[in-house]
Amino acid sequence: MSQSHVKPDHDSTTSTPPDTPRWVKVFGLVIAIVILLFVILLFVGGGSHGPRRHIPSAGAAGYTSPIAYGGQQP
Amino acid sequence: MTMPPPLRKFALTAHVTFSVGWNGGVVAYLTIGVAAVTSQDAQTVRAAWTAMDLIGWFAIVPLALASLLTGLVMSLGTKWGLFRHYWTLISFVLTVLSTVVLLLHMPDVSFLADLAQGSEGAQLHEIGGDLFHSGLGLVVLLVILVLNVYKPRGLTQYGWRKQNEQRTASPAVDAAT
Repeated sequence: MSQSHVKPDHDSTTSTPPDTPRWVKVFGLVIAIVILLFVILLFVGGGSHGPRRHIPSAGAAGYTSPIAYGGQQP
Repeated sequence: MTMPPPLRKFALTAHVTFSVGWNGGVVAYLTIGVAAVTSQDAQTVRAAWTAMDLIGWFAIVPLALASLLTGLVMSLGTKWGLFRHYWTLISFVLTVLSTVVLLLHMPDVSFLADLAQGSEGAQLHEIGGDLFHSGLGLVVLLVILVLNVYKPRGLTQYGWRKQNEQRTASPAVDAAT
């Protein structure tokens, strides 16, 4: 979603590479915390996080997705 | 290679359309998911899962792929580049991750939509409304949206190197012309 009135950065006139911006560091920290929480939840939840975790092991044998019928129910 | 302005505007229009459509598709999916969780009517829950299956495969998946493709065109066809700025790089990584998770998750949605058609009572309500994926997905899409609108400053090391190369090359070009 690039917009024409905003110009790319031209602030790197030094001979050394620019430091990583603070917002990138904060963003990375937040992502790391979210991933850590997610992994902890996976362990607590027994390794499954999807909606199938609620479903008994009987599964859905005998049923067919409406996608397979082009939107029509059997 | 940068696109000429008319082509860039067309690509930008397409990218905004697909990206906003993706956001809207997820909001619709989430809304129906809430109905699947809260409704006490079995027919409503089954209909909700059928709608989620259809919206997922025929609206969200195509819009996600189109958004990713047009985003690549916009970044590679403008001076922003794909790896030169942190905001484009992070947007790209989040978009790829979201699309991969979506494609891996949709078979589960179809499975549950099938299951809902033949379920009754407590088992039907145990299926839930898939709020985790759609809620988290919406948050990630909003982060991408904010990055794309605000474009926070910050060159990557690759971007800095490329910019220096262009600076050293441009005086030679100017002298030659």
